[in-house]
Amino acid sequence: MGEFATSGGVDRWVCPNDRQLSLRAKLGTGWSVHTNKIGNFNRPEHLSLEEQEQILRVITRAEYLEGVEMERIGRLVDKLDNMKKNAIGNGSSQCILCGDEFKLLGASPTFCDDCVKAVCSKCGVDTVNSSKQPLWLCKLCAETREVWKRSGAWFFKGIPKYTLPEKKAESSKYPMRMRPSPRGSVKGKPAGAASPRDSYTWHKARGSASTGVSSSYGESSEQDSSESSDEDFSLMKTKAKKNLDSGNPKSVTKSDNASIGSSASRTVHHNNNHPNYSRAESKTSIASASNVAGQLSATESSRGDDLHNESDSERSIFSREGSTRSKGKSSLAAEEELDNIDVAINRYVKSSNTADEEHVSSPDSEGTSLGLLEFSLLYDSVNNALHCTIVRAKGLKAMDSNGLSDPYVKLHLLPGANKSTKLRTKTIHKTLNPEWNESLTYYGVTEDDILRKTLRLSVLDEDAFGFDFIGEFRVPLKRLKPHQTKNFSVYLEKQMPMEKDDDLIQIRGKILLSLRYSVPKQTLYVRIIRCAELAAMDSNGYSDPYVKVYLKPDKDKKSKYKTTIKKKTLNPEYNEEFTYEIRHNELAKKTLEITVWDKDIGKTNDFIGGVQLGINSKGDRLRHWFDTLKNPDREYRRWHVLSAELTPELDD
Amino acid sequence: MAKTYDYLFKLLLIGDSAVGKTCILFRFSEDAFNSTFISTIGIDFKIRTIELDGKKIKLQIWDTAGQERFRTITTAYYRGAMGIMLVYDITNEKSFDNIRTWIRNIEEHASKDVEKMMLGNKCDLTDRRQVSKDRGEQLAIEHGIKFMETSAKASINVEEAFFTLARDIKSKMDRKIDSSGQVSGKQGGGYQLKNENSQKKSFWKSCTLL
Repeated sequence: MGEFATSGGVDRWVCPNDRQLSLRAKLGTGWSVHTNKIGNFNRPEHLSLEEQEQILRVITRAEYLEGVEMERIGRLVDKLDNMKKNAIGNGSSQCILCGDEFKLLGASPTFCDDCVKAVCSKCGVDTVNSSKQPLWLCKLCAETREVWKRSGAWFFKGIPKYTLPEKKAESSKYPMRMRPSPRGSVKGKPAGAASPRDSYTWHKARGSASTGVSSSYGESSEQDSSESSDEDFSLMKTKAKKNLDSGNPKSVTKSDNASIGSSASRTVHHNNNHPNYSRAESKTSIASASNVAGQLSATESSRGDDLHNESDSERSIFSREGSTRSKGKSSLAAEEELDNIDVAINRYVKSSNTADEEHVSSPDSEGTSLGLLEFSLLYDSVNNALHCTIVRAKGLKAMDSNGLSDPYVKLHLLPGANKSTKLRTKTIHKTLNPEWNESLTYYGVTEDDILRKTLRLSVLDEDAFGFDFIGEFRVPLKRLKPHQTKNFSVYLEKQMPMEKDDDLIQIRGKILLSLRYSVPKQTLYVRIIRCAELAAMDSNGYSDPYVKVYLKPDKDKKSKYKTTIKKKTLNPEYNEEFTYEIRHNELAKKTLEITVWDKDIGKTNDFIGGVQLGINSKGDRLRHWFDTLKNPDREYRRWHVLSAELTPELDD
Repeated sequence: MAKTYDYLFKLLLIGDSAVGKTCILFRFSEDAFNSTFISTIGIDFKIRTIELDGKKIKLQIWDTAGQERFRTITTAYYRGAMGIMLVYDITNEKSFDNIRTWIRNIEEHASKDVEKMMLGNKCDLTDRRQVSKDRGEQLAIEHGIKFMETSAKASINVEEAFFTLARDIKSKMDRKIDSSGQVSGKQGGGYQLKNENSQKKSFWKSCTLL
C-alpha cells in the first residue's frame, strides 16, 4: 500500500499521517491547508504590493539622499586631496604645506601634533581637542580630522563611498573620454577614468530591478564590493602624488582656503548621470536598494537638475575660493576657462585707460610714514565681482629686528561677518618694498554692497606667531564706478579701531519698515518695503524669504500676517502693507514683531532674523515706534537690523 | 531645500509595535501629533537639522515597523545607525519586557560603537501606567544606557531625548577623532581606508538567512 495518497489508496475516513499532511501542504491544496495562509506559507516575509511600493518609495528617498551625501563627501575628499597636492614642503626644514624655509632669522617651525611635521605659523591651526587641551595641527591634519568627522568615516572606520566632483580640467585632458551628450559637452560628461567600471554596475543594477525584493539582497552585495571605493581612492592618491611633484609653489603660499578649493570650482557643471549614484551604499546597506536603482535611473536625468541645485552650497563657496586662487597666478599657462577669464581681465585692467588715479600725498600725520600701497580696484557689475589687484608697497615700516618685514596684504569687506569677506595675498619675505602683483576677487558683490561697504586693506608683517600690524587703508566702495579701473597709490594709516570683533557679529540682514497710524481710521499701517543683506539659509547661497508681521500680545493670533515669498534672493522687495484696526491707546500696549523667514518646502522654515518695535524696545526701534505713535498720520520709514536673538513663536 | 550641515548622524528608532516610535519622530520632526494609529510599513525616515555647539547636525532618523513581519527589512538598517532609540510603552508591560530582546538585536546587528538610549513613551497616560519609572531607570543602568520618559502627545522630553543622543554621538565622535588622529597621523598624515569586508560579509549572510 502506497502511502502516497492517491484517491483510492487510503480510506478517506482515516486521518492522514503526518507525512501525508506535510506533502499535501506542500502542494498547497487540500483541506490541510488554510487558504488564508497560502500566500505566505513558503514566504513568511511576503509583503503586499502596496507595502512593497511604500517601502520602495522610502528607499528611493533614502537613495536620493545618499547620492547627495556621497557628493558632499566627494567634495570633502576632493578638497582634502587638493590641499595635499598643494603641499610642497618637506616637513623638516620647510613648512610641510607652503614650503617656506625655516631659517635662523625667518619663521621658526612648530610641529603638528598629528603628523609631527614642521609647519609654519600660518599653515597651522591652533585648536583644542575634546578634553579641551590645546592642539596644534597643520592644516592638512586639521582638515583630515574634519573630513573624518564630516563624512562619518569616524564611525564607519573609513571614508564612506563618495562621488568625486567632476573636473573640467580633467575633461580637457582626456577628450577621448568625452561621450557625446545631449546636454552639451560641458554638462553631461562621464566621470573620467571611473566610467567603465561604473557603467558596469549601472547596468547590473538596472538588471536586478526586475527581480524581487528578496533576490536583490544577494545582487547588491555583489555589486558593491568595497574595491570600488578603494580604487577611487588609490587613483586619487596617485594623482595627488603626481601633482605634488609638479606642484606649483606659487599657489601654495597663499591662504589655505585659496588653495583648497581649486578643482572643486570646476564642479559647477556637475555630471547628472553619474553612475555611482545608483550604487547601493555599502554600510547603511539599504537592503533592497539595488532594485530601486533601475527606477531611479529612469527618472534620474530629470531629477539630476534638482540634485544639482539642492546639493550643498559648499560648492558655490568653493567656486568662489577656487577662482580667487586662480586669479593670483594668471601668469601660469591657463588651461582652464577660469584662468582664461582671469587673463582677459588682467589684460583689460592693464589696457583700459587708467583713467582714475588717486594719489594721497599727505603721509601719516605723525610724520613717520608707515609706507605706500599701490593697488587698483575694478567693480564688474555684470558678474557682481570686485577685483582687487594688489600691486606693490614701498617704504614699509620695518617690524622685525632685522630691519625688514615679511609683508602681506589682507582684505576685508566691511561690514561683514564671516570669513568669506577676507582675502589675503601671499607673503613676500624680508622686504620693505614688496611686489605682490596679485589679483584677489570678491564674488557676489552687489551694487547695493558697493554703495554701503568699505574695503579695508591692511598690510601686515608675518611672524612666526601671528602678525604685526603695519598699516591699513579703507576705501568706501561707492567711490568706484562700475567697469572702470581705479588705481590707488596711498599712504597707509594707523589701525582704526574695529567696532567689534567683526567675526562675532552675526549679521542676519536689515529690513526697511514703514509705519503710519491713521487717527480717523484708527488703523496702524505696517508696510514691509524691502530687506537687504539677509543671511543665506539655503545651500544655493540664497534664501527664499518672507516676512511675518505680528502685533503682540494677541490671544487669537488674528494679527498675524505674511508677505509673499520672494524666491532665491537676499535682497527681497515686498512693498506689502498690512493694517491693524486698533485704538491708539491700545496700540501703545502692543509690540510689533517682524520676523523674516526662509521658506523651505517640506521642512520647518528657517528663522532668519527679527525685530520688535514697542515701548520696551531700544534705540532706533523705540524711536521708530515712538515717532509713529506720537505723530499720527505721518509715515515713518526706517531700516532695522534683524537680530537672530529674537526668539519668535514657532513658525506654523 | 537642502541645506549645508556639518555632520550627518543616522539614528534609528526600534521597539515593539504601537509603542509610539512614529509619533515620537513625528513630534520631533514636525512638532505635531496624530492620535490615529497607522502601523509603519517596513521603514521610513525623517530629517531634521539641529544645532549643537555651533555645528549643524543633520539627523536622518529611521523609523522602523515594530511588527515582526518587517524584521528582515528593519534589521538591515541597524548597521548604518550611529544612534539607536529603544522605545517602549509605559502602559504596556510586554513592550518593556521586550526591550531586552531589542538590545540583543542591537548587539547582533548594529555597529558596536552605536550610541543607545531608552525611552519610556506615553508618560502622559499616568492612570494606565504599568511600568514604573524606577524600573525603566533600573534597566537602563543595567545596560549602561541613558533613559528618559517621553510623551509624544504631550511633547515631553522628545526634543531633549534626540538632542541628548545627538550630543552623545558628537562627543563620541570628537573623542574618537582625537584618539585616532594621533595614530593615523603619525603613520604619515593620511586617512586610511580600512577593509570592511569581514563585517560586510557577516552582514549579508544574516540577510540571506532571513
